[in-house]
Amino acid sequence: MATDTLKRPAGASGAPGGLRRLLLDNGALTALIVLVIALSALSGDFLTTDNLLNIGVQAAVTAILAFGVTFVIVSAGIDLSVGSVAALSATVLAWSATSHGVPVVLAVLMAVATGIVAGLVNGFLIAYGKLPPFIATLAMLSVGRGLALVISQGSPIAFPDSVSHLGDTLGGWLPVPVLVMVVMGLIAAFVLGRTYIGRSMYAIGGNEEAARLSGLRVQRQKLAIYALSGLFAAAAGIVLASRLSSAQPQAADGYELDAIAAVVIGGASLAGGTGKASGTLIGALILAVLRNGLNLLSVSAFWQQVVIGVVIALAVLLDTVRRKAGATPVAAGTGGPKGKQAATYALAAVVTVAIVGATSFLHGGSSSSTTPKLGLSLSTLNNPFFVQIRSGAQAEAKKLGVDLTVTDAQNDASQQANQLQNFTSSSLGAIIVNPVDSDAASNSVKAADKAKIPVIAVDRGVNHASVDTLVASDNVAGGELAAKTIAEKLGGKGKIVILQGQAGTSAARERAAGFAQGLKAYPGIQVLAQQPADFDRTKGLDVMSNLLQAHPDVQGVIAANDEMALGAIKALGSKAGRSVQVVGFDGTPDGLTAVKNGTLYASVAQQPSQLGKIAVDNALKAVKGDKVDPTVKVPVKVVTKDNVAGFTG
Amino acid sequence: MSNPDELLRIEGIRKTFPGVVALDGVDFDLRRGEVHVLLGENGAGKSTLIKMLSGAYTPDAGRILAGGEEVRIHGAQDSERLGIATIYQEFNLVPDLTVAENIFLGRQPRRLGMIDRKRMEAQAATLLERVGVDVSPRARVRELGIARLQMVEIAKALSLDARVLIMDEPTAVLTSEEVEKLFAIVRSLREDGVGIVFITHHLEEIAALGDRVTVIRDGRSVGQVPASTPEDELVRLMVGRSIEQQYPRQRPEKGAALLSVEGLGRDGVFHDVSFEVHAGEVVGIAGLVGAGRTEVVRAVFGADPYDHGVVRVSGAELKRHDVNAAMAAGIGLVPEDRKGQGLVLDASVAENLGLVTLRSATRAGLVDRKAQYSAAERIAGQLGVRMAGLGQHVRTLSGGNQQKVVIGKWLLADTKVLILDEPTRGIDVGAKVEIYQLINELTAAGAAVLMISSDLPEVLGMSDRVLVMAQGRIAGELPADEATQDAVMALAVSTPTAGPDSAAGSTPTTDKEAPRGH
Repeated sequence: MATDTLKRPAGASGAPGGLRRLLLDNGALTALIVLVIALSALSGDFLTTDNLLNIGVQAAVTAILAFGVTFVIVSAGIDLSVGSVAALSATVLAWSATSHGVPVVLAVLMAVATGIVAGLVNGFLIAYGKLPPFIATLAMLSVGRGLALVISQGSPIAFPDSVSHLGDTLGGWLPVPVLVMVVMGLIAAFVLGRTYIGRSMYAIGGNEEAARLSGLRVQRQKLAIYALSGLFAAAAGIVLASRLSSAQPQAADGYELDAIAAVVIGGASLAGGTGKASGTLIGALILAVLRNGLNLLSVSAFWQQVVIGVVIALAVLLDTVRRKAGATPVAAGTGGPKGKQAATYALAAVVTVAIVGATSFLHGGSSSSTTPKLGLSLSTLNNPFFVQIRSGAQAEAKKLGVDLTVTDAQNDASQQANQLQNFTSSSLGAIIVNPVDSDAASNSVKAADKAKIPVIAVDRGVNHASVDTLVASDNVAGGELAAKTIAEKLGGKGKIVILQGQAGTSAARERAAGFAQGLKAYPGIQVLAQQPADFDRTKGLDVMSNLLQAHPDVQGVIAANDEMALGAIKALGSKAGRSVQVVGFDGTPDGLTAVKNGTLYASVAQQPSQLGKIAVDNALKAVKGDKVDPTVKVPVKVVTKDNVAGFTG
Repeated sequence: MSNPDELLRIEGIRKTFPGVVALDGVDFDLRRGEVHVLLGENGAGKSTLIKMLSGAYTPDAGRILAGGEEVRIHGAQDSERLGIATIYQEFNLVPDLTVAENIFLGRQPRRLGMIDRKRMEAQAATLLERVGVDVSPRARVRELGIARLQMVEIAKALSLDARVLIMDEPTAVLTSEEVEKLFAIVRSLREDGVGIVFITHHLEEIAALGDRVTVIRDGRSVGQVPASTPEDELVRLMVGRSIEQQYPRQRPEKGAALLSVEGLGRDGVFHDVSFEVHAGEVVGIAGLVGAGRTEVVRAVFGADPYDHGVVRVSGAELKRHDVNAAMAAGIGLVPEDRKGQGLVLDASVAENLGLVTLRSATRAGLVDRKAQYSAAERIAGQLGVRMAGLGQHVRTLSGGNQQKVVIGKWLLADTKVLILDEPTRGIDVGAKVEIYQLINELTAAGAAVLMISSDLPEVLGMSDRVLVMAQGRIAGELPADEATQDAVMALAVSTPTAGPDSAAGSTPTTDKEAPRGH
């Protein structure tokens, strides 16, 4: 089976040589093989055809982005905008085809053109505007993301069905994203190895001045290089959106760093002049294998990030050491000298020990007992509300003697799709999902349904797919309650601002709808401004400070969660609770403390640990085949100073 | 043998790298108050030897004795403790720090945990005075010329109380005036009892400065001779054979003018430069560093813009500031900074040779790499590039072979006018002669060569005509038989603004034209 995984990278590089040569010439490949062996030894679910194909799918988007970034890095540049450009291209496709009825073929061309134009703008700023690539593409990162949000107005747009087939499988087993990845990889290898522009990349990256004095039109080439990167980003965006059947303006956030990591792990130097498409593919596979394996081993979500960081460092270290040992005056010819091999193997051993040690230490003895196994995929663990859901679920699981694996999707719909795919392929008893996005989770949930695994949604629903039950607080009703609370506190008359949640999430949309609905009853309440602060305390602080400059006379604040409310309270300083009333949402421990202290007037409290507990109870029922209700509403209630003492999440 | 004056002794040093024996049985010794010259071709092992003394490498076998005691030098700290300071060709200075900060980098005098700038600058000023250079300790290193950088390096070495000073080709980048100044400093250091290891390729400097000479060839010390040894004998020791003629120029028939430059000027940099280069001719450009020679040839090649004048190749006017137009017309430039501008160091020999012809080898966006490779193979053989294979990275080639690769890429492109900027800087005698032979072959085939060189004997020996530049203008032109070192130097230090040509008509014209150019 191990040879099976070997063939893919070798085939993609187009030059299969002796196995030993291949390993010696490519430290990243050695690291990948070590990882695969270690993970197969640790998890019985790892080395199955299904799971390996999953890894391919999960690597696809990063790999396609990384191929584009390879061009840029080989020519000694950097492209930070690829994640945003991918999201923008996908949004343009969905917006034109779904919302404006543009023929799908034309919409695809428009999406690709969007990527190319974004790349050309980058290239123009860098080649002719003389901006450092870091700055030019950082600007494009922001502009691209912003435009995606503007076009989509912050909500995901359904992807046209004909394009969504790109996220399906061919003949029932070969996933199309893997196919697209391989094709784009071959194109990248061909461009780098055989074309004028590809050879120019190496020359420009190796020594730009020498290239210019040898007659290469450096500026024109740079324009083309960044355009190519934009083209690949557009392709990645289309693949990503078709996997989720939905174009998410917030998709691929932070993917540029994964792409850069993949390129560097694959042996390219950020100083330029070196790098290969095959190396980049291996780099992307290493990242995907690692995420997949850590999911399967149910390593704690927090530790996963630590392990991923360590493996990235070790993989590049392996390559550097190998290269240093190989950097001798003799040309690389037949097999390397002994020291080089020794160094490679020593480091490979270190990597193996580190991975095996870390994973067996961290995945805390998953007993192979007959107790049902459950998986919980949370949208994020960066917010106390979801941490409380986890605690409630874990406490209940412990009480009932159930094995519960928790993953953290870090607010990234496609990462959540990967995690759900991993849950499905490791045949859990039931899956509990807290979707990042209700539309985007549908494909993964359909797959679980197909595999006859019960799915329970918690906090947010899943659209276009059947879940066994939805355990949620009513966001719209809660929003109405919040509006009512502030209006009554202000006596039905006053000026307020609204801090909205992260654009594109269902919670933000539903709560905003609830606020609007609730305020209709109070015509005396004037909404001065509505601004998103992304459910984040720091952003709440900044946005509120800015709003105070414009509207010093504000009397009330509705925040779509407690975190933002607490940020707003910081910005208001001594005004909070006195001349300005703040209402939050969620009832987190910090929020309740603020209610106790009087700075937060009220919080529309959900009961997150109840959500987690009830979700686990229902999951168990579903596993046993008992009947479950299609929706379980966990009540929300307004917590003020009067009743805070008696309230527990 | 325990001489109280002996500072250093190296016995039977051996150092191997995987696949290469860099040094094999080298003996060397240094006494107090002497200049001991290390002589050898590039790649002979001189750099490896001095890296043993500075702690960058450790020997595989053999002994190093300092003051009669065996020592091991494992790093820069060890060598500093032994009083050994090294000045490399590439200076180890931080451009954006001041002179004083660079001299005391890492050892800044401190008071209460803060850097005591006043004391540091006062000490730096004393050191700078000792090396006789007029630089403010507060000046930024970036603003200094190459000669002054070197003086700062020497001051830094003195601040370490160095008893042994190693200088790796210190004169390679200096003009003859600056070399004289450097020699004066080295002599005064010698009188102070410092032992100096001096590496140079300029044989005439040995007699002028040295006391003893150790010759290294192929990693072995082949002899220790007094500095008064005749040059022929030194060359024979160094290359293992005698080189009959150091400058083997053969002058073919002069043909039609290929390159003509008229009234070329860039405001504030160079002015009213006019000359012609004919087929079959080598025209040398001499002058002090900073006279504007490199700026003129870069403008001719289109690498930099110019404000006035025209450049013609075979009568056709060239577009300004357009490298590709110059290349299409058949001009090639071998730049002054071989590593920084001429080569992609981490690419292979084949890729570097194919750089200029990359476009012409492209059909519909695809590069014909097979044809590129076989062309590279042919030219590398023709030039006698010594390498392990076409796949070898040029970084690991010796200086002479790197230069052959730079010239080779232009030969592949059928260059008619080749501009060479300091073509033999840092190259050993044997490789120099090979490059001169190449120039002969080029001119014999009807090409024109324009050569900048700061090496006066080379300009005089290889050129058919010598243009001398001073302060951005052509100070004069000398035919080969009238060009002597004295005549060239007299022009190089002249102030040519009042020269007959420019004073007559062109200067007023340029003044009038200036506003139009903007």
